Amino acid sequence: MTPEEYAQAVRDVVGDHPDREELLEDLDDHLAEIAAESDLPLEDRLGPPSVYAEELMAAYGGRSEGRRKRRTTPREWVSPAHAAMMRHGSYRSFVGFLPELRPGWWVLRGYLLAMLLLSVADHARLAPQSLADWALVAAAVCVSVWSGRRRRGRALGLLASAANVAGALALFFGLVTAASWNNGADHGGFMAEPSPNVYVQPASSFNEVYNIKPYAKDGSPLTDVYLYDQDGKPVITSPEEYGYTVDRSCGEPILNRYPLPLVPQDGIANETATPAVTCPTTEPPVPPVTAEPEPTRGK
Amino acid sequence: MDSSQLLKGVLDLAVLAVLNERDGYGYDVVRRLREAGLEEVGDASVYGTLRRLFKAGALTSYVVASDEGPHRKYYGLNEVGRSMYATQAKTWASFAATMASLLEERRG
Repeated sequence: MTPEEYAQAVRDVVGDHPDREELLEDLDDHLAEIAAESDLPLEDRLGPPSVYAEELMAAYGGRSEGRRKRRTTPREWVSPAHAAMMRHGSYRSFVGFLPELRPGWWVLRGYLLAMLLLSVADHARLAPQSLADWALVAAAVCVSVWSGRRRRGRALGLLASAANVAGALALFFGLVTAASWNNGADHGGFMAEPSPNVYVQPASSFNEVYNIKPYAKDGSPLTDVYLYDQDGKPVITSPEEYGYTVDRSCGEPILNRYPLPLVPQDGIANETATPAVTCPTTEPPVPPVTAEPEPTRGK
Repeated sequence: MDSSQLLKGVLDLAVLAVLNERDGYGYDVVRRLREAGLEEVGDASVYGTLRRLFKAGALTSYVVASDEGPHRKYYGLNEVGRSMYATQAKTWASFAATMASLLEERRG
């Protein structure tokens, strides 16, 4: 708030006081001197204009308590408490330190507003994901810092207040979103979309399962065996991670039909592959899904 | 005890005392009161008190031009103000002595 704005706010509260001229005679000079003395905002140095005006009139012996303007806004309720607290040195020191945080807030505000805009326009995000995103963030930060450093009129002041509120809300919801993502990550939340396949994990850290070779009861090897899990999802391995690819000479293979026809990738794998001898022609069967009996726990 | 409440009762005397020392403008009076130890004094209270004392005929005023900032309206005590200061100072001295005596008796 500039000295002129502050003075006008005081004049508004003093209103039609019978000695209005005398009361406000030195006001402009007083405010100009205080503004020149320190970078601390006038509201922090003197308290809100309404409190200043009430104090001025009370010391002068003007309006009675009954004629005081009723407090209607939250600011008018908080202002007297702030003015009373300003009489204490530690609170004054704290309030005096706050302006040093402003440049940091201007930068953060620009970032938050840019991310809010991107999230509304496209999809929710906490960080820029493209060059265009970064460009928008840089522009928003520049505008935010520029408007923060500039002496504001009433219109720009209202705009800055709205930006502050929007920035604070974006920060709040950003933190809430980050917290929920964090919780999701703790519970495997990044795999939110269910996979249609089931991937085989090694039985131990020393084993690498990239193919399965089924055998019949009499020990004879089986071919073209389709494997499904208890929910009917195909059981899939990842041979590519171990230096093999599935042979596609017979067309697109069915990945849960074992043994898989594997061929080594370029010199990576050193084990014997299981090449496809003949191309199977049958379509994969519909897996039978049966209810799995509940395990019994002690009698 | 809230010293700001005590200050309200003696602000007139405090302002008169400062101006009795030498003339001063509004913010100068605020500064000198704070330097004297009355750190809780409010700017608006001092300005309102100066206006009231001036209206009551206790102060003279004159404007001093300044090259560096706004022209300043200085206040000083006139005869009425000096008389008011003497009376109030006497009242305060008597009151303070009574209070000190009262507290001393209760303590002893």
